[in-house]
Amino acid sequence: MSGEEPRLKALMIRGLDGDGAAHGQLLSAMSGYLRAYFHRRLGPAFADAEDLVQETLLAIHLKRDAFDRRQPFTPWAHAVARYKLLDHFRRLRSRTTVPIEDAGELFSQENSEEGAVRHDIAKLLASLPARQRALLTDVKLAGLSMDEAARRGEMSVTAAKVAVHRSMKRLASKVADEHR
Amino acid sequence: MNTAELIARLAADPAPTPRGGVVRRLAPPILAGGAVAATILMLWLGLRPLAQASQTGAFWMKATYTLAMAWAGMMLMERLGRPGRRVGASPLIGVIAAAALGLLALIEVVQAGGSQAAALWLGQTWNVCSLRIVVIAAPIFIGAVLAMRGLAPTRLAAAGAAAGLFAGGAGASLYGLYCQETAAPFVLVWYSLGIAACVGVGALCGPRLLRW
Repeated sequence: MSGEEPRLKALMIRGLDGDGAAHGQLLSAMSGYLRAYFHRRLGPAFADAEDLVQETLLAIHLKRDAFDRRQPFTPWAHAVARYKLLDHFRRLRSRTTVPIEDAGELFSQENSEEGAVRHDIAKLLASLPARQRALLTDVKLAGLSMDEAARRGEMSVTAAKVAVHRSMKRLASKVADEHR
Repeated sequence: MNTAELIARLAADPAPTPRGGVVRRLAPPILAGGAVAATILMLWLGLRPLAQASQTGAFWMKATYTLAMAWAGMMLMERLGRPGRRVGASPLIGVIAAAALGLLALIEVVQAGGSQAAALWLGQTWNVCSLRIVVIAAPIFIGAVLAMRGLAPTRLAAAGAAAGLFAGGAGASLYGLYCQETAAPFVLVWYSLGIAACVGVGALCGPRLLRW
């Protein structure tokens, strides 16, 4: 069982008794574990991870009274997370399987920031046209030189430079819009 | 909505969850289903004079078997309805009851000898018994599924099967108030067949009915 069990279980019990702050702390702590767990399990499809994190947090909240206070919390939370993951795969009709695992699997890593950032970048990039997106990914994320990226995109170096510059400007203004 | 906002919103709604809230949530749909099933039984088939029936060993043999099945189904529902719990030994009572009934049936068949044995297996009502149990169990099954939806089953086919076992056992218990068969082999075959049909329906429907 996870070393987090005593702390999380205590937060869960206080939340069940109506302590909103404890409930919020529990959900925050869980969001970190869930994010890392779903990233690990989803691999390249990590853009879906944040949705699953939210769905699972909501399930933990809504299904609280299916939690038996005499039982440990971490296996309960792990079963909920795993169910949401399997349900996600079922929706995708993918044949991906999730190996048998124990509750330690959910609590082995935590990921509070990086995942959310990657999620945001993926969302931002999705707003660009395909050619610009590919170019920007090559140059800014994969670390290719401007020459290499221009060759891959079958355009001149000058055109690539202009396109990257425009894409960055466009993303910057989009971020500014969202934060206004 | 980003995750932090979601958490803030959920934490702002921490209505305290009463202890034993689950029982309060499970009981009403199951009791309602049971009431409908009892009504169907009385309007459709009626009851035997219970004072007289309860004097016989056969009545109690049937009741013990079917109630044990319902009890095992209930235990399984409780386990499978909660994430992360193992099934463990909870269905043991059903296994024991089936084994005991099997032994009893064997004894009766051996004692009756070859030519009489067929009558023990078939009784007077073999062709309607299982189906009647399924019909009476149906409203209980609906109640059990509604109750299960209030929990959080993560193995949906198994959870549906558990609801079916409970409904089948409870439905067979009600049917036992009417049924006049007395032989253990009859109960072993036709009662079990009715209960098993409920389990099968539950396992098939579970993944659709119990998603959350």
